[in-house]
Amino acid sequence: MELFNIFLKSAFIENMVLSYFLGMCSFLAVSKTVKTALGLGSAVIFVLGITIPINWVLNEFLLTERGIFKTDLTFLRFILFISTIAAMVQLVEMVVEKLSPSLYNALGIFLPLITVNCAILGSALFMVAREYNLAESTVFGLGGGVGWFLAVVALAAIREKIKYSHVPPALRGLGMAFILTGLMGIAFMSLMGINPAELMAASGK
Amino acid sequence: MDSTSYILRFVLTMTTLAAVLLAGMLYLTEPAAMRAEEVFNKRAILTAVEKQLPKPLSQMSNQEVLSLFEKQVEQHVINMKGEKVSGMKAEKINLAQEKKKPEAERLLPLFVYKDAQGKPYYILSVRGNGLWDEIWGSIALEPDMNTIAGVSFDHKAETPGLGAEIKDNPAFPAQFIAKKIYNDAGQLVAVNVRKGGIVDASHDVDAISGATITSNGVTEMLQRGLRYYEPYLKKIQAENKQTGLK
Amino acid sequence: MAEISTQAATTAVVEKKEPWFGKKERKLLTDPIQSNNPITVQVLGICSALAVTTQMLPALVMSIAVIFVSASSNVTISLLRNYIPKQVRMIVQLVVVATLVTIVELVLKAANYPVWKQLSVFIGLIITNCIVMGRLEAFAMANPPKRALFDGIGNGLGYGAVLLIVAFIRELFGKGTLFIGTPIAMHIIGPSNETTRYWINTANPNSLFYGYTNNGLMVLPAAALFIIGILIWVQRAWNKKLVDVS
Repeated sequence: MELFNIFLKSAFIENMVLSYFLGMCSFLAVSKTVKTALGLGSAVIFVLGITIPINWVLNEFLLTERGIFKTDLTFLRFILFISTIAAMVQLVEMVVEKLSPSLYNALGIFLPLITVNCAILGSALFMVAREYNLAESTVFGLGGGVGWFLAVVALAAIREKIKYSHVPPALRGLGMAFILTGLMGIAFMSLMGINPAELMAASGK
Repeated sequence: MDSTSYILRFVLTMTTLAAVLLAGMLYLTEPAAMRAEEVFNKRAILTAVEKQLPKPLSQMSNQEVLSLFEKQVEQHVINMKGEKVSGMKAEKINLAQEKKKPEAERLLPLFVYKDAQGKPYYILSVRGNGLWDEIWGSIALEPDMNTIAGVSFDHKAETPGLGAEIKDNPAFPAQFIAKKIYNDAGQLVAVNVRKGGIVDASHDVDAISGATITSNGVTEMLQRGLRYYEPYLKKIQAENKQTGLK
Repeated sequence: MAEISTQAATTAVVEKKEPWFGKKERKLLTDPIQSNNPITVQVLGICSALAVTTQMLPALVMSIAVIFVSASSNVTISLLRNYIPKQVRMIVQLVVVATLVTIVELVLKAANYPVWKQLSVFIGLIITNCIVMGRLEAFAMANPPKRALFDGIGNGLGYGAVLLIVAFIRELFGKGTLFIGTPIAMHIIGPSNETTRYWINTANPNSLFYGYTNNGLMVLPAAALFIIGILIWVQRAWNKKLVDVS
């Protein structure tokens, strides 16, 4: 139940893009069409689902006092996390290319973009700050990915439609994308205050 | 194209250099960082008894905070049966970690501030959940172990302007002063953060408008947190009765 | 990032004998502030940093951190540019940036603990800040250290300028204050009481601003997006060349 709670929270209520602005650069860059948004969105879910548990294990067993070195090495956390992410993205790219060329064609060009997507590193840092355990972190990573996916696809769909509207020329494109993201953020806020745990308890019994 | 051995050598040298550089930086900055953290935590605890301090915290230098804490604050650790655990300092207790233990094994920090006349104020630590994440606070009790002398709250991620007002708006903690945590029948009722106005003048404070969940979180945190301390509170109250203090 | 690299490669000129700080250097420094602003024109680095614009102090600290990291990483990469193996370019850049960011974090923790606590996660995110990475890839890999230094500072400044404008609007209209938490804290508009005096006292019935309350929208994350959207609108309406660049 706790896990389900974390998933809902990270996917909707504390959405990576809409309430923390994580991964905004690629968010704005790929939200011009739904097709690319779908591609990068799924790549983000994929990479978050893989890197978060790995980073959790590395953090727990290499960097903390409970780990194999018995000393506090947390000052190396940034370097370790970002190297893991970069290495994993590279690895995933190679594996996907070998195993499923069609998936590679769909995701391939987006994978390198993901290393510098702050949502990936941000989730890893949030996971440490919130002291999640392994299962919780994995669910948190997946939830964050799903939330990012939903947000980017929704914005892309809106941007495709808004192309045909009379927006002032200076506001067209980037400016409008910002304002739309802000409005979506406010819409997502209506989900706040929903406590998934209480909701389940009320409907379950 | 560079050879593989060159790449390996390059990467190894660079990571070693980076690690050495960082270790050096850590060695240089750590003492100052530890002190800054200590001052920050001690200021947070003293905020609960700010009215009783010789001067407002904002006008005290870090040095003054540390020396005041050293001279006038006693630290105890108590267990869930209300007994003092010897050989531990309260500042070493991390409530976030304690929350993960089974209830009966938890340890509680207790700070006792003595003012210039030697009158003790008991500062209890509580921790609970707000809307987004954890909230926590310090509750200072008068020696009768019933009247609140002051409180301070903090939070990890409440909404600025709404839930975050528990910390940012000094009027909110100020409401708690002189409230009672026991009712007339001697039951622990703590303090209710009530939406829509005060009903019971000695146990209610006004909620923050627009932040119902954070307000309810504060109520729940106080009720549960004070219940943990109850065995100890009862003990002191019994001692007070014996010595004829009120 | 591919688009920018071609764009910047054309601006990279072969170095001749020129004054140490000539016209070109000035252009490197000032261009990113207005006509080639990293946020509003290049669309880089919007990421996390906007989350720290509710008040001036964290925005200021964040800007300084980004200027430092982008300038020093630009110089480092530019010095190493002929030795970095092409295949591991990305990882080398990330390690350099991560090292510098860790240094910033360690220093900040020792120097100002409360701000560090507020910013902790977001400081780490400078690593993936696309401005830093983008400039390394597009400029530092192809230019000598001196140019890279000015380019780094210029982009950091352009970024900081937007952060500070957003933070100014959000703090003034959201909280009625400016630079709160610093020695030059200003209380601009709000109800005065015994402890705080505001320049415009909204508690005074004769005041034009009687009954004014802070705008709750400004403290929400969405406000930062609206403000930047409007900034882009103003900038493009004024500088027609920028319309439809992305």
